[in-house]
Amino acid sequence: MRLKDCHNFEDFRKLAKKKLPSPIFHYIDGGSDDEVTLNRNTSSFNDYDLVPSVLNDVSNTDMSTTVLGEKIDFPLFPAATAMHRLYHHEGERASAKAVEKMGTIFGTSTMGTVSIEEIAKINKGPKLFQLYIHKDRGLTDNLLERCREAGFNSMCLTVDTVVAGNRERDRRTGFTTPPKLTLGSLLSFALHPGWTINNLIHEKFKLANIVHMTQKGTSIDKSVIDYINEQFDPAMNWKDAEYCVKKWNGPFALKGVMSVEDAKKAIDIGCTAVMISNHGGRQLDGSRAPFDQLAEIVDAVGDKIEVILDGGVRRGTHVLKALCLGAKACSFGKGYLFALAAGGQKGVEKILENMKAEINRDMKLMGCKNVGELNSLKLIHRK
Amino acid sequence: MKIKDCHNFSDFRKLAKKKLPSPIFHYIDGAADDEITYNRNTNAYNDVDLVPNVLRGVENIDLSTTIFGKKLDLPFYCAPTALQRLFHYDGERAVGKAAQKFKTMFGVSALATVSVEEISSIIDTPKLFQFYFHKDRGLNDAVLERVKAAKFDVMALTVDTITGGNRERDLRTGFTSPPRLTLSSLYSFLTKPMWGINYLTKGKFELPHLQDHVSEGTDIATSIGSYFSTMLDQSMNWNDAEKLCSKWGGHFALKGVMSVEDAKRAVDIGCTGIMVSNHGGRQLDGSRSPFDQLAAIVDAVGDKIDVICEGGIQRGTHMLKALSIGAKACSGGRLYLYALAAAGQAGVERALNQYREEIERGMKLMGCTKISDLNRNNLRFRKI
Repeated sequence: MRLKDCHNFEDFRKLAKKKLPSPIFHYIDGGSDDEVTLNRNTSSFNDYDLVPSVLNDVSNTDMSTTVLGEKIDFPLFPAATAMHRLYHHEGERASAKAVEKMGTIFGTSTMGTVSIEEIAKINKGPKLFQLYIHKDRGLTDNLLERCREAGFNSMCLTVDTVVAGNRERDRRTGFTTPPKLTLGSLLSFALHPGWTINNLIHEKFKLANIVHMTQKGTSIDKSVIDYINEQFDPAMNWKDAEYCVKKWNGPFALKGVMSVEDAKKAIDIGCTAVMISNHGGRQLDGSRAPFDQLAEIVDAVGDKIEVILDGGVRRGTHVLKALCLGAKACSFGKGYLFALAAGGQKGVEKILENMKAEINRDMKLMGCKNVGELNSLKLIHRK
Repeated sequence: MKIKDCHNFSDFRKLAKKKLPSPIFHYIDGAADDEITYNRNTNAYNDVDLVPNVLRGVENIDLSTTIFGKKLDLPFYCAPTALQRLFHYDGERAVGKAAQKFKTMFGVSALATVSVEEISSIIDTPKLFQFYFHKDRGLNDAVLERVKAAKFDVMALTVDTITGGNRERDLRTGFTSPPRLTLSSLYSFLTKPMWGINYLTKGKFELPHLQDHVSEGTDIATSIGSYFSTMLDQSMNWNDAEKLCSKWGGHFALKGVMSVEDAKRAVDIGCTGIMVSNHGGRQLDGSRSPFDQLAAIVDAVGDKIDVICEGGIQRGTHMLKALSIGAKACSGGRLYLYALAAAGQAGVERALNQYREEIERGMKLMGCTKISDLNRNNLRFRKI
């Protein structure tokens, strides 16, 4: 199986599985507890059906949308995710270049493995930084200042990770960062020599954005679960979020908002957007799927704040359905991470091209010339 | 597979399956008829979703709840289950000590294999006794007096076992209590020699609350289904329950109430709590799951008595959902029985600790710092 054989999410997932040592594959692929929410995130889209209009002259379709102050070529962007260099030795360098080429927002994480400054040099397109509030508050100020300096356009604060989810696959595989050889995982690393050799001959793995602030940054030798529980601040509250919004003084999103009440508070503290998300089913299992909750949030606050849907998106039609319910744009993590693992920069380009082509084709089939024509009348909930 | 590899309910179940002779494993694992209710008991939780709140400052979480006038450190407890020394030679001693360690309630069955007196001498945390209404009224009175003398806190009358459920796995495996060797089960007992050695060397198997009254208590092998059908009084009615309640004179619950009408009558006869339960799917197959029925019951009597949700719970998030609807606490049997079979007291402690961690983590992710923060605004029922 090669990159050219990857036609959809599942294909990229399969190829990533071939390329990655199993603890790393399962770190991307897994959710929390029984993965009920992980599965619902995608299956929720299938409870709604699209109703097309015909004979609308769709020779030219405009997929562009404006979100977080930036016009993007199509209404999907890769969510900020951690530690890209675990999945491919070029890491964020590969994904940042691919995303720039495809004309959408590139998100990078506090837990990135290529620095804010280097990414700003590589990618001249719109960039979003994803912030975690650490117990060490100096780190927050430092990250905000560096992002402004580097010319990042928007900031997002993740609020659904006050404690790590129970990712049982990681417990079984013994996933740590940097990857540690254990008797149990040895075989898996040996069976994926391409990944292992690249990991050994390229620069040392580090959490490039926070390495200078915390010694944990270089060699955590712990699970991500332990890192989150030791370093992230569970006391984080609305005042802290408001502080970040004011300090950033630009487009700002809260990521992981699920209730209307919280979406309203996000407006009050001056946010530009909320990302409806359950962290890809990796945090609270049994929590509601973003798509199931989308209409409730849009109906309450959609005219005052941008609503971005994050979670379960694997197809162009999923994006269309979310836009029908009023989302400004969607983001996705697992899809492009599998593509990164499968083929580096080329892989990420390919999955974004695929998704863009799907959105384009599906808009034509829906009889829509631009994303503004997608609305709730074009979507029916199957009872 | 070892106990340290057990990270969730299904891991404990797997390990229990390895350790137990199959008739005993299937006695725990099985349920009535086609096990539709048994499966629904757990699946019901997946038809409702949690909606968290964020940025609430969740560094300190209080998981305590008060039921039957007793404060428990955890919002769940060990439901009374029968015959625990069949599953591990320490039986109720192991479960009782583990429950004490986590400062939660321990339920002891009328069909327990360790006496109420001994349990009282081992643990000083809240204790519930589960009562079966036998035809032999002398037995009923004697048991009540013993439990009272042993200073138990709560009496729970089981009302859903008026006759034995059709547990087909037991029919197939030939499960009896005490275990009887048959040609077909011999192989299963021989392949789990440690269970057999412990069973034969760690003290005689007894039903101490019944042995002075019924021959079934000592050594005539009988199935649990036939025990219910022959020994329990099918004429039991609300008058009997009311008399028992006043005779006990303390916190009294009915276990196995499923209708709103019955929940209201439980209030009328002086109960201080009810367990919404279908006996773990082991009695009437096709009956409604406790979680599906919970909201209706809470709406009717939740402000008057303690409503406890029992059945199908395998995760901390399942408990969060039941508590959000208005249950005062949750309880479960298989929740700790597989762990008991897997590793005795250490196993039960590991299981209780896991559920405690799951609830605490879930509370933090929900943005809740105490149990009363959970409410129905945080739930959405999926449209079906």
